[in-house]
Amino acid sequence: MSAAAHRDGPPAVWAHAWRSGAPLLVAVGVGLLMHFAVQPAVGAFKARVLVDIGINVILAVSLTLVNGFTGQFSIGHAGFMALGGYAAGALSYYGSYQLFGAAAFNGGVLSWTASQGPFHGPWVGGGDLLFVAACLVGGLVAAGAGYLVGLPSLRLRGDYLAIVTLGFGEIVRVVLQSTQTQLSQAAEVAATPWPLLTLKLGGALGFIGLPFYTTLFWVYLAVALTLTVAIRLKRSSYGRAFLAIREDEVAAEALGVHTTRYKVRAFVLAAFLAGVAGALYAHLVGSINAGELGFQKSFEVVIMVVLGGMGSVSGSTLAAIVLTLLPELLRTVTGSVNTYLPPAYELPDLRMIIYSLALILMMILRPQGFFGLREIWDWRVRRRPRPA
Amino acid sequence: MDTQSIDPLMKLVQTLLDGFAVGGMYALIALGYTMVYGILKFINFAHSDVFTLGAWVSWGLAARALRLEGAADAGGTPVWAVPVVLLGAMLLCGTVGFLIERLAYKPLRAAPRLNVLITAIGVSLLLQNVGQLRVVFGPYPKSMPALLPDVTLLYVAGVRVPVVDVLVIGLPLVLMLGLEWLIFRTRVGLAMRAVSYNTQTAALMGVNVNRVISFTFVLGSALAAAAGFLYALKYVGLKQPADTTWVMLGLKAFVAAVVGGIGNVRGAMLGGFAIGLLEFLGVAYLEPLYRDVYVFAVLILVLLLRPAGILGRAAVEKV
Amino acid sequence: MTPLLEVTRLSIAFGGLRAVQDFNLALAAGDLQGLIGPNGAGKTTVFNLLTGVYRPDAGEIRLAGRRLDGLRPFQIARAGLARTFQASRLLADLSVADNVRVGAQLRTRPSLLGTVLRTRRHRATEGDIEARTRRLLETFGLAERCDELARHLPYGDQRRLEMARALATQPRVLLLDEPAAGMNPQEKLALRELIRRVRREFGVTILLIEHDMSVVMSICETVTVLDYGVTIARGTPPEVQGDPGVIEAYLGVAAQTRGPGGGA
Repeated sequence: MSAAAHRDGPPAVWAHAWRSGAPLLVAVGVGLLMHFAVQPAVGAFKARVLVDIGINVILAVSLTLVNGFTGQFSIGHAGFMALGGYAAGALSYYGSYQLFGAAAFNGGVLSWTASQGPFHGPWVGGGDLLFVAACLVGGLVAAGAGYLVGLPSLRLRGDYLAIVTLGFGEIVRVVLQSTQTQLSQAAEVAATPWPLLTLKLGGALGFIGLPFYTTLFWVYLAVALTLTVAIRLKRSSYGRAFLAIREDEVAAEALGVHTTRYKVRAFVLAAFLAGVAGALYAHLVGSINAGELGFQKSFEVVIMVVLGGMGSVSGSTLAAIVLTLLPELLRTVTGSVNTYLPPAYELPDLRMIIYSLALILMMILRPQGFFGLREIWDWRVRRRPRPA
Repeated sequence: MDTQSIDPLMKLVQTLLDGFAVGGMYALIALGYTMVYGILKFINFAHSDVFTLGAWVSWGLAARALRLEGAADAGGTPVWAVPVVLLGAMLLCGTVGFLIERLAYKPLRAAPRLNVLITAIGVSLLLQNVGQLRVVFGPYPKSMPALLPDVTLLYVAGVRVPVVDVLVIGLPLVLMLGLEWLIFRTRVGLAMRAVSYNTQTAALMGVNVNRVISFTFVLGSALAAAAGFLYALKYVGLKQPADTTWVMLGLKAFVAAVVGGIGNVRGAMLGGFAIGLLEFLGVAYLEPLYRDVYVFAVLILVLLLRPAGILGRAAVEKV
Repeated sequence: MTPLLEVTRLSIAFGGLRAVQDFNLALAAGDLQGLIGPNGAGKTTVFNLLTGVYRPDAGEIRLAGRRLDGLRPFQIARAGLARTFQASRLLADLSVADNVRVGAQLRTRPSLLGTVLRTRRHRATEGDIEARTRRLLETFGLAERCDELARHLPYGDQRRLEMARALATQPRVLLLDEPAAGMNPQEKLALRELIRRVRREFGVTILLIEHDMSVVMSICETVTVLDYGVTIARGTPPEVQGDPGVIEAYLGVAAQTRGPGGGA
């Protein structure tokens, strides 16, 4: 802490407000920049890849809170994503019917993707508010489930807990896939009370026809906020309690850490963020299908966290970026190689083979992941010569 | 499960028969999970993929056997192929199990269990996706050729029991009896039990721990291969190697091992049948859509209420 | 005068083994007492009972009149009873300073929103934790190594970090589990000094488990001797040293090597 923070008077107040709120401004700034500058410049395809990267970063960083900071091992993260996506979808889809008469786009310029055509509308529309509310509700529903999944973590450790989280993810998938057919007539929606609407989420066919709101702006706003939360947590009492549990539960308790409470909190927080990621995903694609969010998706996120570094926010961010780009890159490479090969000898999709080999080799060569518990910026500090 | 208006007794018998058939497979797979856990104290996540491999190898061998016989045009079914395919699959999966342990797990003997778990997930993904390669099994579902004639052996309360079902229920029982004998009546079995009880002491007593571990992996993998063979024989349609179905089957077998008490061989057998019956009773008398939910609900209940399983012993952490 | 820490008839059995039986103890404020006994006598089990790692089968533990038995370890730590561990249980991948900070944050109640927004209250608390951490690190001569990972510390520093970390929780009673284990004679001398200084400067009451007689006998005012979970002697160091039962318990161990005692 610098001396300035202790001085009274208006400048100190402003300095204080800046310190607290700067990340929010930066987040909005990054979002605006991505939306108005990057999106038009890179074109629709690359913009979509950037959105995917953003969503994966949120997933990986949120899982870092559980698997990295707190040392629990969850492999059912996609379950929270699915819950968040469905909850948010239910609100925006049926909410749009009730507010606007149809499940159509009703937002402002921030929710409009440039590649969809020229925009003639307000800066902020009613649909934007509905969308933000949907994202928050998605997060909260997932957080509620996170609380339930966190409870077994109080009694189970390591691989047992992993299996329970996996089982949870599968239960979520099955339950969502057995919901009722969704309604698509305004009159029907108007005649059905909300509790019943939440049961009509499309079943095995998936929940479709959701309005498109997710743009680079919203995704990178969420990314910046997620990173802020994770980094500020890590460097505070709150985060140290998580890390202490990861290092040694018995010692953490002996030092007064309420281990059960913090474990559950880690799950709740991670689930909330994953739920928001699911909400963003649902309104990006315009649909969500629990069948696509099974344990393969969960494993993908686990791979990001493990390779990036168990407990490194920047490491898992970087891993999320690389592992989102890698399939695109591979597709280009194998595609161009395959043009020279006869059909029978064409290279297949090698993505998962490379991932799995990377996972195995990483555990043998560098089990803590590329960055371990460190952040990218910690390296500079470490190399500074120590006073003798 | 054919129609609604089925005779209640027939429905029950059919359900029990289905439950026992799949329960035997779960038990065979669960044995591999439980033996490895007993000795190395980690969940061999890749075990379910060895089972998948067993089913697919059976398919490959059976297809080749049929070609040898020229059965496609003759219409005959080569019964000699049944033991050949079964043993071939067990041998090959045993070898793969051996290699997995040597290459992926052995370097991590002293590492934290979490690292081994992550490695196991990696091995699992690797097996699935290598299996999907066109040069291996390919990314499409296949159908198992019929090795056994479609002969009805007997009727139980009016339910037809074909020869396949007799094999599917009988073979696991035979293999489990063999395993019982191996573990409790032979020197190898004694060594396995010793390593499981206390690895260090066993090593000091002159047990070659590495060899016992390798043997355990080979044994577990061969049993999983037998389960895979039976699965292919009974259900015929094989989903592509990376399909979710396989992992779900493997996971249910894992649940069986936990329910029976992980690390306990008899518990795994008991758990296998319990889970198989539970699943099919749930499908027949409750909501069929939730068949996976029943199994996982039982898992979570057992872990919370009796983490050591039906026959397991609770472990105390030392401070 | 009622003692600060009062233990009455504390008992626990594991299966058929009576690990601790009818253990009584009274520590007055400012005491420095020792708890000794041969391997497997139940000393660490007593610590585990006092700090809530194990739940006693019977008996009472009171700290300044407040019942502690049945509470969870973190509640006992918050009540003012801190401990070190026999086998070092440092947070190995965290920095030396972070190890102390985790202890120092015991009496703060961090809120998620406050942490994320870095409110003024949050920054004041963190500043407070930081200041207390610095002071402790300096007292224990660890200030220069504060950014190193705990796992990279030399053994002696690790033991001192354990003590610093326990003291950071601002305890009224400090339980030290074999702090001299693995130390050379010079380090043991320094440790004696350190324990005395800790009592003086931090005003804590100390209960010490120790194998090394030179340490126990030179700094403790009262010594309790356990054997097979039963208290066989209690008194000043000279009294205990002259007690025939104690001599037999120790010599018996040396002479006939009692079965597989196990670490505890």
